[in-house]
Amino acid sequence: MKELRDLATKLLAEGTVNVVLGWEEGPRGVRPAFATDAAAAGRLVFDPRCTQNLVPYLSPRRTQVKKLGKAAVVVKGCDARAVAGLVRETQLAREDVVVIGVRCGGVIADPASPEPLSPATVADRCPGCNSREPKLADHTVGELPAAPPGESRRDVRIADLEARTADERWAFWQDELGRCVRCHACREACPMCFCERCVADKTQPQWVDSSPHPRGAFAWNVTRALHLAGRCVDCGECERACPVDIPLGLLNLKLARVASERFGYTATDDPAVPSPVGSFQKDDAQEFIL
Amino acid sequence: MNLYEPYRVKIAGLVDETPDTRTFRLEFLDPEVARTFDFKTGQFGEYSAFGAGECTFCIASSPTRRGYIECSFKTVGKATTALRDLNVGDTMGFRGPYGNHFPLERMEGSSLVFIAGGIGLAPVRSVIWNALDLRDRFKDVTIVYGARSVSDLVYKRELEEWAARADVRLHQTVDPGGETPDWAGEVGFVPTIVEKSAPSATNAYAIVCGPPIMIKFTLPVLKKLGFADDRIYTTLENRMKCGIGKCGRCNIGPVYVCKDGPVFTAEELAKLPPEF
Amino acid sequence: MNGRTISRSQLAALVDDLVGSGVGVVAPVRAPDGRLDYRPVARLEEAVLDGGLPRLSLKSLFLPPTEPLFSFRKSGPDVAIDSVPTTFPPRLVLGAVPCDAAGVAALDKVMGWDYRDELWFGRREATTIVSVACGKGDASCFCGATGNGPAGTRGADLLLLPLDDGFAVEVVTPKGEALLSAHAGRFGEPPNEADVARRRAGLLEGRVEPVGSLAPVTAWLGGHFDDPVWDGIALRCHGCGACASVCPTCHCFDIVDEPEGVTRGTRRRNWDTCQTARFTLHASGHNPRSVQDARYRQRVLHKFSIYPERFGELLCTGCGRCSRACPGGMDLPDVLGAIAARAAAPAGGAA
Repeated sequence: MKELRDLATKLLAEGTVNVVLGWEEGPRGVRPAFATDAAAAGRLVFDPRCTQNLVPYLSPRRTQVKKLGKAAVVVKGCDARAVAGLVRETQLAREDVVVIGVRCGGVIADPASPEPLSPATVADRCPGCNSREPKLADHTVGELPAAPPGESRRDVRIADLEARTADERWAFWQDELGRCVRCHACREACPMCFCERCVADKTQPQWVDSSPHPRGAFAWNVTRALHLAGRCVDCGECERACPVDIPLGLLNLKLARVASERFGYTATDDPAVPSPVGSFQKDDAQEFIL
Repeated sequence: MNLYEPYRVKIAGLVDETPDTRTFRLEFLDPEVARTFDFKTGQFGEYSAFGAGECTFCIASSPTRRGYIECSFKTVGKATTALRDLNVGDTMGFRGPYGNHFPLERMEGSSLVFIAGGIGLAPVRSVIWNALDLRDRFKDVTIVYGARSVSDLVYKRELEEWAARADVRLHQTVDPGGETPDWAGEVGFVPTIVEKSAPSATNAYAIVCGPPIMIKFTLPVLKKLGFADDRIYTTLENRMKCGIGKCGRCNIGPVYVCKDGPVFTAEELAKLPPEF
Repeated sequence: MNGRTISRSQLAALVDDLVGSGVGVVAPVRAPDGRLDYRPVARLEEAVLDGGLPRLSLKSLFLPPTEPLFSFRKSGPDVAIDSVPTTFPPRLVLGAVPCDAAGVAALDKVMGWDYRDELWFGRREATTIVSVACGKGDASCFCGATGNGPAGTRGADLLLLPLDDGFAVEVVTPKGEALLSAHAGRFGEPPNEADVARRRAGLLEGRVEPVGSLAPVTAWLGGHFDDPVWDGIALRCHGCGACASVCPTCHCFDIVDEPEGVTRGTRRRNWDTCQTARFTLHASGHNPRSVQDARYRQRVLHKFSIYPERFGELLCTGCGRCSRACPGGMDLPDVLGAIAARAAAPAGGAA
């Protein structure tokens, strides 16, 4: 912790950055912090409650954060994939942000929970994580803790869904997406949903009905999942933001696996690796193109 | 039938005011509504193109002309584009009248100074005709109207009519560069022309509508001419959906524009947070 | 307490009576993921009474996330309108959380001023609300500060207070009285007053709310639109509107037309929120609330200044859902505390 605070304080003091995006104690567990002075830098924390991905705040749409000036951002390995995603898709110049990596042993799903990290509390994305030390960081702090506890619950759930018939899967998603109220919190909290004008907000023509009836809920959630196929960085923010607990991570992870099987792409924190939607290889699978 | 169900109205006539601004004359399909429909000048309505949605405009005609209402709109979004695709004889929807109105009854016995820019003439035109139809109740009537260019002037035939009347003083202007070789009116921004024409503030009311920038620079001129803030009226064009104080969209500070407005005095506006 | 008692078995029988006579009974039900949702139930066993806050508030039963306003059919230049019903089948909500019932009552004001929203009041009239006193509050709850409390009766027709077997029943409205009279045989003798008082006190035991009296906040907000307290207040806010979705009193909505084919369509109203940039964006591109600080300020002002000024009560019932739902860690009690501190500061008092 001291290492993180000292580094943040130094970066601010020497004027390398104007603000450090990190985590601090809040009224309900830890919360995002925007440290602009030594006092605030001294309050930064990193522990297994720091589940929030702070990279969405670097999106060009966050005009108020942008006005604070040049930023450093504290990232876990999963969050670093979001930085790489923004750089890869030219939303962020790598030199415009200082990346402080933290070595991570997994985080709990709910940053407000007082429970310790355990197989029961661990965030879905953590078990089996292979990016516990961000590679694109300018500075990396902390010792590498033990690997995240538990086993992937999502593997079990995806296998369970895959084993079902199409009708059963349809019924499952009808029930889950039936709760969607079309608030678009998933989009606003997503680091990769940076479009200045989302297809769901367009009215001429109206591609996606804006109502949260079954047609609108499917149109929106399926459209978003497809737009994130091969782009999703699996940070879990959409699912955490969803006020009605739709298991969006299942959709995104399944599509990420399809992207991996078909195009050999896995979300990475190396911005130089091209994403399948942003690149063309002569041997890309294309039999689905009529 | 619920609050959100519109009256059905038939487009009885249309005028292309400018390349992107159109006026519809609308007649109520239900004969009972046609007979009893009444409104006050400055009130607004929700006009709908079925399938595209509703948009909010003032009623641009005068309540003294019964049997129809008129609206003028610029094509900017989905609903106005769909409205523009409609033709004479087509059916559209109307909910209203909503909101407060210009207190013309309070202005009787006074002079009226109308100041408008661009399509801001629409709400003002309703008051102008209302006052002209009751001409003997008012003293001097002055109109200052400006647009970006000659082709952006709306209600051109009515401008000619007002220009020809001896009991109306009309000053038309276009922004510098917007004039044509045969333009006989003024060239300059509305606030400048107001200052130049210097209508008397004695026992007078000003009614000002137009783009925010025009209003911003006109208010100090009116003040200089001696108009008190509570004798200057304008109408706000906040985004609205329901028009009846439910949906929350037009709320600024403690005010619901759809119910407390859309007509406000400059004095009332000055007290509002700058969120319009 | 002016009422009666009802045993758990008699309550189960009452639910059977109601369902049998065609009354829809809605209660908190445990979803497969463990959360509660207000859902129709056929039997009492399906309901979870006093299990804490359901995911979405009770408002969704009166102002659904989407609802048709009418449908239309076009034929050539003509359009026909098909109305939607404004009367609704009888319904009983069993196990409303007191802060949810209070939210519905607060919304009656805006839904009824001058223009009476028939869809809202049609559902209100068809519905009897039976609240169950709440023993499941947590550190984000501040229903006491909003004037209601865990056994608050605002918005309820009957209030049930859990006893060892069954509940003490407090009659709050004539509608509640009517339910009780119509099923008088299901209800038992009045409860032991001392027992009721002890249990009521038990609900408040050890309870510390995250924010104190809101009166100074409301008093201060009116004159401080430009106060520095708002600067940067919403930095961590994503503008996602999750707070508004779960809020029992956020009621802003959008009205949209949805074509169904070429000649038919439906006009619907859908939940909307002032927390998104789109909410106030004009077609011209002008946005009167262009930054998140302004949008967050609007939410706070509407709940704690505008609504009290216009309608005489807070537009917040202290349920704490917004804090729990926020992915960015915005915390309304925290913000209210900061405002209260500002209001109490010597320099903060001046406009």
